[in-house]
Amino acid sequence: MMDAALIFVALLAQQFEQRGFIENSTAVYPQIAPNDSGRVVDELLFRDEASYKVAPWLTINGGFDARTDSHRQTARDGVVDADDRSIQRPAFSLRRMSGTVHRGKITAEIGRQLIRWGKTDILNPTDRFAPRDYLSNVVDTDFLGVSAARLTYESGGNTVDLIWQPWFTPSRTPLLNQRWTALPPEAAGVSIIDGGARYPGGSQYGARWNHIGSGYEYSLCFFDGNQNLPSFDAALEPSLSSVALTRTYPDLRLYGGDAAVPLPWLTVKGEAAYFTSSTPGAEEYALYVIQLERQVKEWSFVGGYAGNVVTREAASPLQFAPDRGFAKSFVGRAGWTIDVNRSLAIETAVRAEGSFVRFEYSQLFGQHWRATGGIAWIRGDMTDFLGEYRRNSYGSLAIRYSF
Amino acid sequence: MSKLLLVALAALPVLAQDTRDPRQIILEVQKRQHSESQRYEGTLEVTSQGNQVATKRWVYQRIGSFGNSKAILRFTAPAEVKGVGLLIVNHPERASDQWMWRPAIGRDQRIALQDRSTRFFGTDFSFEDLEERDVDQYSYKLLTDEGGMWKLESRPRKSSQYEYSYFWIKKDNYTFVKIEAYNKKGLVRTIDYKNYEQIQGIWTARSTEVFDVARKSRTVLKYEKLEYNLPMKDDDFTLQALRRDL
Repeated sequence: MMDAALIFVALLAQQFEQRGFIENSTAVYPQIAPNDSGRVVDELLFRDEASYKVAPWLTINGGFDARTDSHRQTARDGVVDADDRSIQRPAFSLRRMSGTVHRGKITAEIGRQLIRWGKTDILNPTDRFAPRDYLSNVVDTDFLGVSAARLTYESGGNTVDLIWQPWFTPSRTPLLNQRWTALPPEAAGVSIIDGGARYPGGSQYGARWNHIGSGYEYSLCFFDGNQNLPSFDAALEPSLSSVALTRTYPDLRLYGGDAAVPLPWLTVKGEAAYFTSSTPGAEEYALYVIQLERQVKEWSFVGGYAGNVVTREAASPLQFAPDRGFAKSFVGRAGWTIDVNRSLAIETAVRAEGSFVRFEYSQLFGQHWRATGGIAWIRGDMTDFLGEYRRNSYGSLAIRYSF
Repeated sequence: MSKLLLVALAALPVLAQDTRDPRQIILEVQKRQHSESQRYEGTLEVTSQGNQVATKRWVYQRIGSFGNSKAILRFTAPAEVKGVGLLIVNHPERASDQWMWRPAIGRDQRIALQDRSTRFFGTDFSFEDLEERDVDQYSYKLLTDEGGMWKLESRPRKSSQYEYSYFWIKKDNYTFVKIEAYNKKGLVRTIDYKNYEQIQGIWTARSTEVFDVARKSRTVLKYEKLEYNLPMKDDDFTLQALRRDL
């Protein structure tokens, strides 16, 4: 009886995979911001991801986050948020909860999952099912899961990806009373009220065809749904002498593609998308990225240019658009693997009126502990996307225990 | 048909097995190591110049054989790289295609040919060392035939980080003992195959030691739970399969 139980436990273990970490990260800002006098922000994140292979063709996946912080960025109501679309970060959220069915050339995943499109690294115009969490940092973000059904057919060098997202998950924006919301000088003295969000109804869908050839790859994609980055409706509240800002999410249709061509000396990657919208006053534009990358021994280099072409101007300037903010920028990253435990990285984005550079050193201690320290320096003019965060240069230290 | 021609034709297989032909020696090595599939759990100990030791583990699965095989290698430890995977699709006529999957960012990345000399995830193996190339992608020369071993020189016909390599092969069981790999500047890596055992009739090294000459760093790969000819499916060696597991 005992033997049978041991065999059963061993079989379960073979089918069960798990990984996770607990991380404490501290950001120190030498300067205060007009809307935020806090100089030190501490965040604690516990993340656990697991999968269980019920049958050779069926896997159940789960991912759970629990977090808190010192700056009221995380809700303290203790509710598990399955949608992960609240204004504050939820204290407990389901990052992934899905079932994956695999039969022959077909893979289907249904439920909450992470979906990434695109090939470039410095900016991904076609990555439409990957909302981000910008709440505590606009230049260093994490991805959010979406609730969707994804069907993938792969045959030879061709992959067709069909995605249906029945309800909307927005990117999480910085809180209006904190430093990563940069208010224009004209707003000085005006009381700003967070009016919440009006989430669009209806579903979103997309299709992507990827082809792998001998020494090249390319894809074409289509998306119909909503912009996951908000525009803001401003409403004057005379009784309170304040302005309420409400997040709205314009309709969005995307036609895009990407390609990667490894050449003898470097790899060229490109990604472009044209965005249209049926929402009155919404912008229409093309966003493109061209990127070169190369590895030389322990060094890796990625550099490129992100550009945009606006074909219809937005009726209102009140929008949060970091993807557009990084357009018209030269972006680069160099990484150096010093040895098996240590690495160094330098990232930069340079625009006509603003710039960002970050140095990061990371070291593994033993099998579980990693410390990552960094310094980010942001300069520029208040009219520039990066420049408006010029009081947000920071130093950071993250200690992570992986298990 | 003349009797002379018939005799010549009959002699062909014998000539083809002439062990002094270096290509035939390599073919015989591959024939004796042939299996339709392979799986093992690998433990890697990377010892850097300053005697810092890092331990990693991966699970390796292969379907097909030399020059026409596919393999998936997935890290299981340390915890922070768990789930990172590499898909290698070998081709008989050219260098392999390789993709790396990083679950933390949910993206796969094609490993470009010019990047193959890079060390693979902090080990002393380069991405190219993880390929299985077809015998016809190299030219061979027999350098010495002494004692119980042959020493061969191998030069790649296709793009490679190496200019040439020396192989030491045991005569009695056609197994690799050592490889020295050189570029234009000199010796780059040495690979020593140790602790041979017969597994399912195939002589198999139970550990491989790679020494990176420039970095003075050493990686020992120990093969555990190694099995050949397991039932595997082509569908488990695709980009989708690489992304599917945790």
